[in-house]
Amino acid sequence: MTNSAIELPLEGIRVFELGTAIASPFCGRLMAHYGADVLKIESRVSPDVVRILGSAWIKGRDDLAAAAPDTSPYVPEMNASKRSVGLELKTTAGRKAALALIAECDVFLANFGARALAELGLDYESVSAVNPKIVYVQLPGFGSDPDMPYYSYVAWGPNQAPLVGFDDFTGHASDPPAGIATVAPPDYMSALHAAVATLSGLEHLELTGDGVHVDVSQFETTLALLGPFVMDYDLSGTVHSRIGNRSLWGAPQGVYPCAGHERWIAISATDDESWDVLSSLMKLPDDHFDDPDLRLAQQEQLDSQIGTWTVNFDADDLAHRLQSVGVAAHVVSTNEDLLHDTHTMSRNWYQVASHARLGRDVFSDCAVKLKGTPGRWTDAGPSLGQHTREVLRDVAGMSDEEISQLVSDKGAFEQLEPETLVPRPWDDWIHLLVPGTADARDL
Amino acid sequence: MAGPYNGLRVIDTTGLAGAYATRLFAGLGAEVIRLEPPDGSPLRYLAPFAESIAPPENSLWWSYLAMGTRSVVIEPGDNDSLAQILSSADVIFEDRLPEDSLIDPDLLPDTTVRTSIVPFGLTGPKRSWKSSNLVAWAASGVLYATGFRDRAPVAPAGHVQLALHASAASALVGTLLALRARRKSGEGQQVEISMQEAALAIAPETGVPVFLDDRVHRERSGNRRDLGRPFGLYPCSDGFVSIIVLLPRHWTAMASWVAEATGNETITEEVFEDLGVRMETQDLIDTWVEELTVGQSRQALFDEGQRRGIPVTPVNTVNALLDDPHLKAAKFWSETQLPDGSSVAIPGAPFRTNADWWTMTAAPLLGQHTEFYLG
Repeated sequence: MTNSAIELPLEGIRVFELGTAIASPFCGRLMAHYGADVLKIESRVSPDVVRILGSAWIKGRDDLAAAAPDTSPYVPEMNASKRSVGLELKTTAGRKAALALIAECDVFLANFGARALAELGLDYESVSAVNPKIVYVQLPGFGSDPDMPYYSYVAWGPNQAPLVGFDDFTGHASDPPAGIATVAPPDYMSALHAAVATLSGLEHLELTGDGVHVDVSQFETTLALLGPFVMDYDLSGTVHSRIGNRSLWGAPQGVYPCAGHERWIAISATDDESWDVLSSLMKLPDDHFDDPDLRLAQQEQLDSQIGTWTVNFDADDLAHRLQSVGVAAHVVSTNEDLLHDTHTMSRNWYQVASHARLGRDVFSDCAVKLKGTPGRWTDAGPSLGQHTREVLRDVAGMSDEEISQLVSDKGAFEQLEPETLVPRPWDDWIHLLVPGTADARDL
Repeated sequence: MAGPYNGLRVIDTTGLAGAYATRLFAGLGAEVIRLEPPDGSPLRYLAPFAESIAPPENSLWWSYLAMGTRSVVIEPGDNDSLAQILSSADVIFEDRLPEDSLIDPDLLPDTTVRTSIVPFGLTGPKRSWKSSNLVAWAASGVLYATGFRDRAPVAPAGHVQLALHASAASALVGTLLALRARRKSGEGQQVEISMQEAALAIAPETGVPVFLDDRVHRERSGNRRDLGRPFGLYPCSDGFVSIIVLLPRHWTAMASWVAEATGNETITEEVFEDLGVRMETQDLIDTWVEELTVGQSRQALFDEGQRRGIPVTPVNTVNALLDDPHLKAAKFWSETQLPDGSSVAIPGAPFRTNADWWTMTAAPLLGQHTEFYLG
């Protein structure tokens, strides 16, 4: 529930966001949730990848082409509650309108490559010349210093994890690196660092009256998470690598098979207290493994013994049983399991908000929760170009005639076919997924 | 200037779940006081250890994550000392549920921001469940989808503890937001981070909204992904490289590279420009690409691939990262002093600013600042 009387922490802050995919959009969404007016600057010539992905159920529907850029579920996952402003920055008129907006913004946030930003004339020097008080936060793959070796190198989500060592750390010790194929933790870690940097920049502005330039080189930012392994290599020459699901700190810890096809449980019982409980549940014949050093030394044997026990149980039942006696465990959730996760449902992890094209849409909540000033979702996600006119008019102070001229000069664009409305195929049963939203259709 | 949070007093009672947050906070100027029991924080007992140093000062997790902070030992039952130190807290980080907390809320001023990082959040049927990095990934859908199909699922970069660092970074974001709200309201408040949600938030790829859309069961696909070809990890002379070819121009450049390096002209035939054809012939494409990669080093493939505009990166190992030419030229690596006076390499500041924000000092000895704060 949103209490509009509460002033949110970022109310009054306006963000100019040049984002694509994850790293900068995820940060901008967080700021929008906490009250900032986030202007997502979009292009039709080189669109954000989430505008290209579209939706499985709309494929082949040429009649819905105008709506397609609004239908990827990643649009709200990365952009809920922002305003979409269609500006073609490579045109002189489009760039001029962008600078007029920048003059009215507090934060500039971008994850375009450093060279691409410079070529657009939107590097820090150019932007701060227009707005010296700007908090300018950029997230290039390899930093914004053109003299550095990888300045012009390309990197994006799936390539960043191998680069920073995460892929080598992923997999069982005897296998080739499994890699992190499905998700992109470095993008999100960069986004969270960018949020810290932006909030620090706003604090800096309050304290000094000055703007600031923050360069979040995604390469460097993600490496900051490897500290102890870097130190150990420097001290002892040890090159840490993948160890499956095991822990350096105790045993057992692992993923064990359960009854059924591809059902697994994750268990961390690395301290003596957890081991005592687990071993008595397992009814081990002797106290062989009661010595923690022996458990670490003989993990192969220990794990296989646990696996022959867990395979007798339903994964979720066993997780409940283990947690009831204080052992950290959870079913290895499939995406289908998450649909039925009563815990996340009880916490309203999936949210519903109105959407100009879809009527309403479902998306994930924000993991950062403030009790006194809870964030809000004003919108599931902007339709491409939905707010071009209102933003150029209300923020940049352009007249309707000037805006229309800019649009016909192809320096800007507005939402296509606003009258084309396409509810998602599952719209009728959203209330089953998000309790309490049966009446939300009129949002 | 000093960091923007200079003058702010932060109390940290957490272990690994909050440590990355307070390290960043300290780097940005905050005065971070770690309250430790007499035998030290649990972080002090985490391997790897520095061999030349005796416990409880030898953990490299402590030496890294506690940098910039101060250590105050509170004896069990010494509520006067606790009250004294809490009375001036702007922020307190905790990793326990309120009913298990060591902190009596009455000792905290109304202006204190109370940040709790707990396994499954402060509410809901699993609120008292325990967790770990592995368990958090299990509850996020990511674990199931990571690894080879014929092997047990594996956590992403397991012992790097990414799910915990994501929780900590989220907790710092929440804390900074709450401090901003305090500037307006004068009031502190509760910040809540569920470790499960911190992991879910960074994994929409396996989340419900995406599943509703495509109804595709997320399978483990090993180190290659069926989104394109080549797409994933390919063996080379000193390990692996990652090659991601999705865009038509990336394929054209890739095919010419393979043709020039291996004499394979077939790969440049027009038919393979179709992504669908490449997917149908993926074993063949992979074999051809491997003929290029197996004879060359990670760095050579990285530099040449990038020169050709293809998203190629090395699958780096820790030793290779310390030798990386870009990181060296950018003077990224920093160092810290261990208690025996030796210097050791560490990652530098996580981001760079044109204002002088970032400062770091060595991690404190157990109880190093007890006298200063309580004496």
